[in-house]
Amino acid sequence: MTGTGKGSVLRARGLRREYGKGEALVRAVDGVSLDVAAGETVAVMGPSGCGKSTLLHLLGGLDRPTGGEVRLAGQSLGRLGERGLARLRRDAVGFVFQAFHLMDELTAVENVELPALLAGGSPRAARRRAAGLLEQVGLADRARFLPTALSGGQRQRVAIARALVSDPLVVLADEPTGNLDSESTLEVLRLFESLHTAGQTLVIVTHDSRIAATADRLIGMRDGAFADETRLTGGTSGSLGALAGLEG
Amino acid sequence: MQQEVVLALLAKEPSHGYELRARLRQALGPLGEAMNDGQVYVTLTRLEKAGLVASEQAAGLPDRQDRKVYALTAAGQERVAGWLAEVSWPKPDLAEFHLKLIAAAAAGLADPLAIVDAQRRELLRRLRDAQRAAMAEPDRSAAGLLLEGIVLRLQADLRWLEACERNWTVRRSTS
Amino acid sequence: MGKIVLVGRLAARDLRYHRAQAVLLLLAITAATAVLTLGLALHGVTSHPYQQTRAATRGPDVVAQIGGPAGGPHGPGRANESQIAAQVRALVRSPGVAGHSGPYPVASAVLRVRGVTAAVETEGRGQAPAAIEQPQVTAGSWVRPGGMVIERTFAEALHVGVGDRVTLNGRRFTVAGIAVTAASPPYPNLCYWPGGGCVLDIPSMPSPPSRIGLAWVTEPDARALASAAAAPLSYFLNLRLNDPAAARAFASAPGNTSQGPGSPSLIAWQDIAAADGLLVQDEQQVLAPGAWLAGLLAIASVAVLAGGRMAEHTRRIGLLKAVGGTPGLTAIVLLAENLLLALLAAGAGLAVGWLAAPLITSPGAGLVGTPGAPSLTPSIAGEVVAVALAVALAATLVPAIRAARTSTISALADAARPPRRRSALIALSARLPVPLLLGLRLVARRPRRALLGAASIAVTVTGIVAVLAFHATVDLRISGAARGLDNPVIDRDVQMLQILTVVLVTLAVLNAVFAAWATALDARRVSALARAFGASPRQLSAGISAAQVIPALPGALLGVPLGIGLFAAANHAGIVTVPPASWLAAAVLGTLLAVAVLVNIPARIGARSPVSEILSADTA
Repeated sequence: MTGTGKGSVLRARGLRREYGKGEALVRAVDGVSLDVAAGETVAVMGPSGCGKSTLLHLLGGLDRPTGGEVRLAGQSLGRLGERGLARLRRDAVGFVFQAFHLMDELTAVENVELPALLAGGSPRAARRRAAGLLEQVGLADRARFLPTALSGGQRQRVAIARALVSDPLVVLADEPTGNLDSESTLEVLRLFESLHTAGQTLVIVTHDSRIAATADRLIGMRDGAFADETRLTGGTSGSLGALAGLEG
Repeated sequence: MQQEVVLALLAKEPSHGYELRARLRQALGPLGEAMNDGQVYVTLTRLEKAGLVASEQAAGLPDRQDRKVYALTAAGQERVAGWLAEVSWPKPDLAEFHLKLIAAAAAGLADPLAIVDAQRRELLRRLRDAQRAAMAEPDRSAAGLLLEGIVLRLQADLRWLEACERNWTVRRSTS
Repeated sequence: MGKIVLVGRLAARDLRYHRAQAVLLLLAITAATAVLTLGLALHGVTSHPYQQTRAATRGPDVVAQIGGPAGGPHGPGRANESQIAAQVRALVRSPGVAGHSGPYPVASAVLRVRGVTAAVETEGRGQAPAAIEQPQVTAGSWVRPGGMVIERTFAEALHVGVGDRVTLNGRRFTVAGIAVTAASPPYPNLCYWPGGGCVLDIPSMPSPPSRIGLAWVTEPDARALASAAAAPLSYFLNLRLNDPAAARAFASAPGNTSQGPGSPSLIAWQDIAAADGLLVQDEQQVLAPGAWLAGLLAIASVAVLAGGRMAEHTRRIGLLKAVGGTPGLTAIVLLAENLLLALLAAGAGLAVGWLAAPLITSPGAGLVGTPGAPSLTPSIAGEVVAVALAVALAATLVPAIRAARTSTISALADAARPPRRRSALIALSARLPVPLLLGLRLVARRPRRALLGAASIAVTVTGIVAVLAFHATVDLRISGAARGLDNPVIDRDVQMLQILTVVLVTLAVLNAVFAAWATALDARRVSALARAFGASPRQLSAGISAAQVIPALPGALLGVPLGIGLFAAANHAGIVTVPPASWLAAAVLGTLLAVAVLVNIPARIGARSPVSEILSADTA
């Protein structure tokens, strides 16, 4: 299940995450190896409970693995202490969650600038960058809205902007369209496509095949391990017209 | 190309063959590329033979099909009205694939799971293409709507294929 | 029957599931009830010990002081022996008198021990016990030739014990014993006689001494002391009346207090009791405002904790309603939990108060009275339990009413009151370093809790500053008094204040920890999110700590003028010395530092809770 190996932004080897002991032992992630090259979009699909979210948390340093190693931009996460991990999360990783996790009392632009403020940047620079990102995701006119005044799709787009504010090496998205209707899913889809075109490295965990279809590589996961891999680039056999019922 | 579609397109006003072709192309968007140009004329001829359509030569022009003007007959109008009122839905062709898996397993010709995986991959690629095409369309274009339908259908089919995979995995382990 | 089982099960499960919260709430209510118990125990202490002493010493109903110093308050000139005998006879034969003991000679003496000089009224007694007014020996033995017995409070002030050697008017005496009496107010209130003064006449003392003590020697020794100093003797006569309640009337009856040389001054036992009670009254003057402060702190703790659980209780009530429980049932479950906690806390608080009460309720050493069981009467226990139950009821009613008013759906969705938005604070915090940014935003989310935190710090600093003001004032007062002699009133006040300060500080500590814990809990999602976006655990725990310290600052500053004002109000005597600025600064800074240190631990724990759990399990 490896990619090019060289020039990979994110690399995992033999990742394991176990809970409990003895008979109650649960292997949420069981020996996963992964290479993500710069600019690549990788989608991980699988039934619920297969460990996709846990894998994502391990890749982003939100959780510590029971075994195995994660290297981000060449640095091994296992060697870092809490402060080092925090710094890494600040500079190299952006998270997008299923439940958006926006602060209810902050406006959209205040939400987006938060990671930059946490990194100790100047407030003015942070505000400028946040406003710019909101424009990029098409929400410039909603910058001063509170999350409660935004639709689900808009909230997730704010969350994506927030994930991008520190110009991360990789964006990790955990079921980004899980809470969205199809209209909002389309909005987020468009955004992911444009990010992909702009060269952002993305790792998306999803059970929505539409989101998965934006990826370059699609990895199927089952029972904590990778089961198969599909490359989605390249032409297809059969035209779309046939799918529509048109005789070719 | 369903005959009724061409009939319905004539219901607005009598048209030339090439006008019909153009309208079809526009409605189908990128999928219109797949359409065979000659198809429209073949269909028109069949409809004329069936008496649902009447053609008229444009005055003063040689007898060429693309210069004829076609119009609905009374029978044709009836047919259109009936077609519009029909509620049948395009049939999905699941039975064929389902039988394919069973036959392969029974005869030991191929691993059903491999067949399912291959089909999944194919559908995913098609999903990607359809999605790209849909997003390239301007907002609320008719063609975009069609592409959205294709995407959703593919999604549904993919879900069924996942179920097939789960099912056949269990079958294999218990057989 | 099934319903009761269900209620019991739900209540027990909930308490077990939220063990830490339950324990903290238990601690808070226990602290409150303990303070209440102590306060009530002290309040009920005034007259009992005097009664005990009076009973133990067969105390007199009226004490007559006959003979007096030349030019003293009892009229011109000294009486001679025959005049004195006549007075005695007249008094003993007065209507209403049932018995007497004495007259006992009283000599004025100067006592010296270890460089300390004091004035003493030395009463001469027989070695056999008297039928009326026999002082109770609490250490050592009764008088013997060369051996004196000192009144207990006086002995403590002098720091003398049995076996010590002292000189009286130059003669060597050994301290044979320590005793208490009901016939005279204890040191230093000896000369408190309405309209009277002391019998003292000590030519060698340069000016009338402000502190005079009481001691007993044998009769011959007393007479010898008087002749050695060439000073006349006075006499004490102890009377028992047919009607003890009429003692005051007897003492002021004109026939008994005739003017003329050596005319007696009479004091009734009720007035002695009042003089004795002065000691305790002073303490109560200190204790009452202190108890209010402690009570406020305790209430603040309970409010913070109960408020912290309020949202969750509202949600639980909504949940039970959604599955078919009637609003009444759900409220009863909550009530059962709170009642259990409150009763346990009441029991614990009563136990703590019962154990701690002897420390502060021994009412001046001068009386026989060692409260143990008597200080904790059933009525006190009943009041404390009633208060605890009231707390439980209040903690139940508020969420129950809220849940009843809101629809089930909104009660279920109610994570808590949604956080408030303060644009100005948010904009301001963006300019600050990360811990202050987090802290200020946490404060802005829950302004009411911040206010409560500020209030409790204000109360604490008020108490501390009042104590400092006391020390500053008192130090000035006694610098002019007799050196070397302790003033038991001041001693007791100081001891009182020390205990009060300990109580206040303990409550404040608990309060700070509770508030920090509540903040950490409320901020779990914020913390997890901040950490997911790069805040280190240290920054986060600093932020949670800052969220406590930021409101504490104005509270501490406010406490300074409040504390001085409180002392001024409590000290009716008037002069108030403002403590030096260095003391005040130390108090404020010390409190803030203590808050910062204390909240560090719950903040650290809160900052390390697993991020992925919170962020994935949580929805909305």
